[in-house]
Amino acid sequence: MELLFVFLIFGLLGVVLLSLNALLGPKKTNPDKEQPFECGSPYLQDEIKPFPIKFSVVAFIFLLFDIEVVFFFPWALVFKEMRPAALVIMLAYGAILPAGFVYAWKKGAFKWD
Amino acid sequence: MIPASYFFLLSVVLFVLGIIAFFLKRDLITQLMAVEIMLNAANLAFLALAKSSNFLDAQVIVFFIITVAAAEAAIGLAIVMLIFRQKKSIKTEDMRSMKG
Amino acid sequence: MNGFGALAPLLIIVGAALVILLLDAFLKKDNKNYLACLSLFFLVVCAVFCLRSWNKNLSYFEGQLRLDNLALFLAFLFLIAVAFVMFIGMKYLTLQNVPGGEFYGLLLLALSGLMIMTSSLNFIVIFLGLEVLSVSSYALAGLKGKDEKSSESAIKYFLMGSFASAFLIFGLALLFGTAHSLEISAVLSSFRANFEGQLLGLVGLGLVIIGFAFKISLVPFHMWTPDVYEGAPTPVTAFFAVGPKAAGFAVLFRILAPYWNEGFKSGRIFDVLWTVAALTMLIGSLIGLRQKNIKRLFAYSSIANAGYMLIAVLAGDGASLIFFLTVYLFMGIGAFGSLIALSKKDREYTDLEDFAGVGFKYPWLGAIFSVFLLSLAGFPPTGGFLAKFYVFVGAVRQDLTSLVIIGVLTSLISAFYYLRIIVYMYMREPERDVDIEIENPALFLVLFLCLYGVLQLGIFPGNVLYVIRQAAASLF
Repeated sequence: MELLFVFLIFGLLGVVLLSLNALLGPKKTNPDKEQPFECGSPYLQDEIKPFPIKFSVVAFIFLLFDIEVVFFFPWALVFKEMRPAALVIMLAYGAILPAGFVYAWKKGAFKWD
Repeated sequence: MIPASYFFLLSVVLFVLGIIAFFLKRDLITQLMAVEIMLNAANLAFLALAKSSNFLDAQVIVFFIITVAAAEAAIGLAIVMLIFRQKKSIKTEDMRSMKG
Repeated sequence: MNGFGALAPLLIIVGAALVILLLDAFLKKDNKNYLACLSLFFLVVCAVFCLRSWNKNLSYFEGQLRLDNLALFLAFLFLIAVAFVMFIGMKYLTLQNVPGGEFYGLLLLALSGLMIMTSSLNFIVIFLGLEVLSVSSYALAGLKGKDEKSSESAIKYFLMGSFASAFLIFGLALLFGTAHSLEISAVLSSFRANFEGQLLGLVGLGLVIIGFAFKISLVPFHMWTPDVYEGAPTPVTAFFAVGPKAAGFAVLFRILAPYWNEGFKSGRIFDVLWTVAALTMLIGSLIGLRQKNIKRLFAYSSIANAGYMLIAVLAGDGASLIFFLTVYLFMGIGAFGSLIALSKKDREYTDLEDFAGVGFKYPWLGAIFSVFLLSLAGFPPTGGFLAKFYVFVGAVRQDLTSLVIIGVLTSLISAFYYLRIIVYMYMREPERDVDIEIENPALFLVLFLCLYGVLQLGIFPGNVLYVIRQAAASLF
């Protein structure tokens, strides 16, 4: 109940203050004032245009390597129970990842142009 | 505590939204996003059903699905890049060099 | 029986793929034929391992990877298919500017996906195999990077394929909800035991089947097939026509044959699939009639053939299904191989008009191609005839007579478009100037082997049938 009053009082206060401002305040505007951000710096452009992303291939490769690491979590949980086998499996898995990295490197995925 | 069945319902809603978006949207990236939403809906369904039945295998299955989704996203984005370089467009209506 | 031998074939293939990709990246040679020879070596080693585990029923990873006879036979088929595709692709790669290292490496990875799919009884492992196959297939379809058609076919295949995967995986989630396990046997027994969860499970199974229906291009999930077949590089198309289709049907059979045996043969899923089979055959043969591009025509032909294979699945007739898949391998790769033979530097002849007069200009090629077309149309004494015959006979025994009648009628309709190509080759005056690169020993070796396979399976199928029956028996 008290909470309701708090909301009512502050809500009314907000409405009153805003309408007072609109009634009594001076109404001189100019185009700069009408902009959504009044920080003084001009807009860069009107819309989002396509721009070249040279690092897109790096982004794809990051996406893959980033996700592959997820398998380390379940592996860490069962590591104690199946120690030798788990180590071998993870070594094999860990060998494939650098192979992929070397492949991407040699194919020129990290060249900047 | 929110019951697990609510999560399941949410996943069904997400899945259906994904299907609708896949058919309504007319550019490749958004369609790709629709598919990702569907895959994540499946993830949520797995987790909800695992929670309600206390079978936790599903959590490992979700790991597999996440990796599969990542691989698909990577190759999909790469193909979209290839298309964009050739056609300067990723709208579905521009994909009609083959007819029959 | 638990044994490392179950893992060995898969390890060899994946290792080979990595070796090939890395070798290509490091050596950077222009002539890629050494990669084909190296891949062939690995394929042969893998085949030897497969042969040695015949009848041993090996398994690994606590039964998740199971090399029963069916899996072994299919693995053997896939090995042959991939070896053929590599050989018909060798010259094509240089003629049409397709990057070689990726071609061989991705084919091997796709092969490993096929093998994983067919050698497991766990839905999630099957799904992973399917994804390994799909992801490498998307890249294979777009391999002709400069060609707009090729990349367009890649994006279409990718969007449709990943959409289908989402259905598949959501269906698996629902099945997990009813059965609390994703072993095929556990899922099926939950269907038997649990009647209140039926709806959830039924929807789940339906979604899973939809997921596979996309991959094996059953109507109404076939829209992508003609475009992908037309746009992808022709050897890759040959692979798509044979590999994923065989694996998809094998998995569908593994799921559905026990399901029919549980007594669900009059259930809703059966009725829906019955209709799908009829529609698939009709659409495949009717729309194929008005195709002017041979690659698109073969796409519709492969849709129609999917319908016949589905009849075998519906009848629960494993031996006929596998025999059909075996024959289809030889005639499919043979037909696409003949198409590849008709090409030169930076130019492929795939229009129907291009074939006018080819039969007299290149008599050997024309004769071989005609045999494959006759086999696809189902004329004796080729393998195509026997394959359809066994499927239809098996289906009649299971009271699917009306479906068989539709099958016979549609194969008559589709015979028309196969024969039309032969008519063009032998009874039309050439209108366009077609001259081809004739120096292609690897391709002609494969064409000859396919021809041998089609005729051997059509005239003396006894030995192969014996092996196939052993393989099919391992299911139950």
